[in-house]
Amino acid sequence: MIKLTHLIPAVAFLAAGCIAVGGKGAAAAGAAGVPASLVPSKDNPLVAVRVLFHVGSVDDPRGKEGLADLAAAMLAEGGSRKLTYSQLLDALFPMAASIGVRADREVTVVYGTVHRDNLAGYYALLRQVLLTPRFDAADFERLRADQLNDLTTRLRAADDENLGKEALAAAMYAGQPYGRPVSGTVAGLRSIKLDDVKSFWAGHYTRDNVELGLAGGYPESFAREVAADLTKLPEGTPKRAEIPVPRAPEGIEATIVTKPARAAAISIGFPLAVTRSDDDFYPLMVANSFLGEHRTFNGRLMNAMRAERGLNYGDYSYVESFLQEGGSTFPRPNTPRRRQAFTIWIRPVSPKTAHFAIRQAMRELDRLVREGMTKADFEATRDFLLSYSRLFTQTASRRLGYEMDGKFYGKGSLVDELRKRLPAMTVEQVNAAIRRHLQAKNAYLAVVTDEAAAKGLAEALASNAPSPIEYATATKPEVLEEDKAIAVFQLQVDRDRLRIVPASEMFEK
Amino acid sequence: MTVRSPLVWLALSVLAAFAVPLIAKESARGGGAPRRVFPFAATESVLDNGLRVVVVPMDSPGIVAHYVVVRAGSRNEVEPGLSGFAHFFEHMMFRGTERFPSDKYNDVLKRLGADSNAFTTDDWTCYHVVAASSALETLMDLESDRFMHLEYAVEAFQKEAGAVLGEYNKNFSVPFMSIHEKLRETAFDRHTYRHTTMGFLKDIEDMPNQYDYSLKFFERWYRPDNSVLVVAGDVEPGRALDLARKYYSPWKKGAASLTTTVDGPQGGERKAHIAWRNPTLPYLVLSWRVPAFRPDSVEDRSLDVLAAAAFSETSPLYKDLVLDKQWVDMLSASHEERRDPYLFTVMARVKDPAKVGAVREAIEATLRALGRKSLPATRIAAVKSNIRYAFLAGMDTPGRVAETVGGFVQLTGDVSSIEKTYATFEEVTGERVRDVAARFFKPENRTEVTLAYEKEGK
Repeated sequence: MIKLTHLIPAVAFLAAGCIAVGGKGAAAAGAAGVPASLVPSKDNPLVAVRVLFHVGSVDDPRGKEGLADLAAAMLAEGGSRKLTYSQLLDALFPMAASIGVRADREVTVVYGTVHRDNLAGYYALLRQVLLTPRFDAADFERLRADQLNDLTTRLRAADDENLGKEALAAAMYAGQPYGRPVSGTVAGLRSIKLDDVKSFWAGHYTRDNVELGLAGGYPESFAREVAADLTKLPEGTPKRAEIPVPRAPEGIEATIVTKPARAAAISIGFPLAVTRSDDDFYPLMVANSFLGEHRTFNGRLMNAMRAERGLNYGDYSYVESFLQEGGSTFPRPNTPRRRQAFTIWIRPVSPKTAHFAIRQAMRELDRLVREGMTKADFEATRDFLLSYSRLFTQTASRRLGYEMDGKFYGKGSLVDELRKRLPAMTVEQVNAAIRRHLQAKNAYLAVVTDEAAAKGLAEALASNAPSPIEYATATKPEVLEEDKAIAVFQLQVDRDRLRIVPASEMFEK
Repeated sequence: MTVRSPLVWLALSVLAAFAVPLIAKESARGGGAPRRVFPFAATESVLDNGLRVVVVPMDSPGIVAHYVVVRAGSRNEVEPGLSGFAHFFEHMMFRGTERFPSDKYNDVLKRLGADSNAFTTDDWTCYHVVAASSALETLMDLESDRFMHLEYAVEAFQKEAGAVLGEYNKNFSVPFMSIHEKLRETAFDRHTYRHTTMGFLKDIEDMPNQYDYSLKFFERWYRPDNSVLVVAGDVEPGRALDLARKYYSPWKKGAASLTTTVDGPQGGERKAHIAWRNPTLPYLVLSWRVPAFRPDSVEDRSLDVLAAAAFSETSPLYKDLVLDKQWVDMLSASHEERRDPYLFTVMARVKDPAKVGAVREAIEATLRALGRKSLPATRIAAVKSNIRYAFLAGMDTPGRVAETVGGFVQLTGDVSSIEKTYATFEEVTGERVRDVAARFFKPENRTEVTLAYEKEGK
């Protein structure tokens, strides 16, 4: 990959690759202009745009949970003052381009990639959507209904793995903004009115709350033009919602969510005190890659649980929120968070082996905490991350997204930070970070499974009953021997905090 | 390691903007020689053992994609009781060789920092690695070894069957997989497209007992004369070809031949219903049998244009049902490429169960009207432009380029089919679209699948 500084000499002089592009409005206001991340590459026929607003579901007003997501949907699928949404679609169609708007917990990004043949036409549309959204009542009704349906008939009913992850967040961040899906709650969505969307937009989609990102083969004048336009957004610096320190779990605090299901989807986790802003985050990334790198066979969890035992399709771990970019196995940019958690994702297992799988994952974590990494494991994992992370930024749009996220954390892009830090990192630093931040005694646990399986699992967890496993297929003797230890691995499940909740009651209010 | 078909289905259904075939196709503007659509210079060679090697240099500093395409998928699962085997076998390909047992294989890929996986579809299986260009020789060595010397014990085989069942389980909560299963089972009588790439559940559960068949499957289909190597990215074609010769030449040819049984005329409308045990909006799926993919078939390309013109987000039907009446929250059409005759499918998710009938009538009325009256030239032009730019937007990483090339070559046998396909779009007109609509969308050629929420015991 080409280094950013080679691509944009102008940026190289400025800290963290950040520049302020001042437009006419900026000069008039005496402000520095709109912060911008620019990653031009003149030979690229595609141009990527990311306009980032510092607003997300954490900013939902109480009782209007889901408003940030709905406001984003109204931008993406609501047209502009001049064009109905249908007319906007007609105009975008010949370019095979789209205007995406995605809200997450902390930020919302307006994004798109277009062939440079069509840049002028595309931007004329994007500009309208950004500066003069339509906010039509019929679009509002449609999108609010879609968001409600997504919550009630997708998340709660047809997406057990994500329901498990959201149930974990709900337990970990109980009563806090991170503790509900970005799409909100049923009661919150029902109470939102079109005027709420309008005032939310006016208060949060402001010139003082926006960052511009451009990458690919755009002409130089384009950055100035967009930056100047963004200064025409409403003024105002909205106050960010506070994100309190979440309560640390005591023992294993389990939530079992019930719905008709063939299998059991499992998530485990606890809050972490570090993010990409902190030096300890990077050695933890190495440790985590060794334990459970997403969608690879590098991790111990994957090898022990899937390859050796055939328990399920995959087993991974994370040291920050990980949303997979569609069509790849890499983390999606522009989903930064002020607080992060360590999590383990056990993909659906047969309900009969759920207790065993939970024990095995926690036992592997415990082993990592007790033994740390060897020098050889550390070096192999470090080398992997150094090369693998370069693949995160294969497109202009993704490179740009990572640049912008670096600023959120007050660092360089994740890829640049790894390139800078990994060569000098030592196994001692990694093992010290493991000891400081990871443990296998206290964790939140979320399981999504059938009601009949839930009762048995709850009792087994609470009583710490042994969970021997029986295989219908041939198994290596050493695996069978280890299984005996896994089956009685102690999980201190807090019976008083163990909850069984029907899926239909999740995120109701 | 995954099955691709249901995911493609999902993508097509969710992203109505991309409700055009997986491999988008383009039309040159009228007049003169057709404009080339593929933006890179691909070189194509065939080794003595029959392995086709396609090299695509492109601007991707320091990154290369190494894709091995085996022209075998669930279409090849002709024996009863062995559905899902192509996909299962894809999993087994990661279980190692004498030189590179699976842990060593993983260690090498880990050291390289490679992004490596595989997927299986009806027609093909793809083994893909993206890594630093400097790793190309190591990749050729590592990858060619498993195609020649795969070796696994019964235990590993049986444990992998558990992972495949896990994959089935993970997909199970989503209605799409069940719809997909039911649609194929209903629409086809004999052809292997009758089952999904994942396979029938009873066959998946029986997989641990089929070790011997797995060896046979490898023997039959994992041959150089049934495979394609695509290398795309920061690569010099001469060197890539030299490496391919060095590492892949010892692979012995001898692919078996496959005769698929194509179903006769459907002979009447078919219907099936799925009672879903979790809350869901009702789904309505209407599907018609259509011919196999042919790059030079105007009929085939006209169906592509029809799918986008009549069912994408800019279609009058979308405006009516999704935006104005708000009866439907998801509308899409898919005309996916297959080596044998397959299906043209329209899917709608209906917000109000009482409106399913009215939505069906609106879809049918749209198709009847298309069969009577030609679409205006401006609409056809907009669709062709969309298809061209969607194709170009997909040419942004070595992996996506290699997958596109691999997709065309597995379908047709050679890379020139990309330009041939796009040149054929030139000939699509409103009249040609009208003609295919009148020809294929007849009730006697239709299969309907519905899915709706019904509580247990109802």
